[in-house]
Amino acid sequence: MTVVTAADGVTADGWREAVVRAAEGLVEAGAAGPGYPEACVRVVEENGPYIVLAKGLALVHARPEEGGLAVGVGATRLAAPVEFGHPDNDPVDLLLAFCTPDPDAHVGTLSALARALSAGLADRLRAASGPDGLEHALKEALPDA
Amino acid sequence: MALDRPLEILAVCGVGMGTSLMLKMTAEDALRGLGVEARVENTDVSTARGMSPDVVIGQGMHTSEIGDLAPIVITISDFLDKDGLQAQLRERLAEKGWLS
Repeated sequence: MTVVTAADGVTADGWREAVVRAAEGLVEAGAAGPGYPEACVRVVEENGPYIVLAKGLALVHARPEEGGLAVGVGATRLAAPVEFGHPDNDPVDLLLAFCTPDPDAHVGTLSALARALSAGLADRLRAASGPDGLEHALKEALPDA
Repeated sequence: MALDRPLEILAVCGVGMGTSLMLKMTAEDALRGLGVEARVENTDVSTARGMSPDVVIGQGMHTSEIGDLAPIVITISDFLDKDGLQAQLRERLAEKGWLS
């Protein structure tokens, strides 16, 4: 069972706040512990803005031991895009945060997410109406949500 | 010379479980389209240093660190761009004679 969350019109002053806000949804839903959002920020600080995996889209995540309690995916649409410092894919307006309790539990969910993104999920999320629309589009893409 | 075994392909990212898994899926789709038999794994940059794949795929910020790891190193910025990755794979594998 995958926990799904969505937030729309989120304001963020820079990429750090955007990442924290995106991951906070998973904390509020009980899928991640309180330290998870900051751990997601550290991933970018330590490894670079590689989580911006396509134009305008960031995959916010950290390692399971940083507070993953369940498999969760959260969609966050920003009120105004932020810069991550990515050479090709900035600015980012859409963040998908995920967490997983162990290094394998998320593989099915993330594989489904990858297939859905290849089939235009990011555009559907950008066109969705409000948080309910975002959540609906995300749930459609995830078989066990 | 054509390989007599499946290609070993490594998708890399910083943590080795999220972004690189997305890339692995894209790479598997791209390779299927080329009719290439390959095994694709995903991992983080540090773990990748101890491996010896035939092909490494990742973002520039990572492939620049491990550019000597494999005979073929492919840099892409859009991990969902199957067509772009397929075009690069086709060209680079053909150079090595690894396309059947």
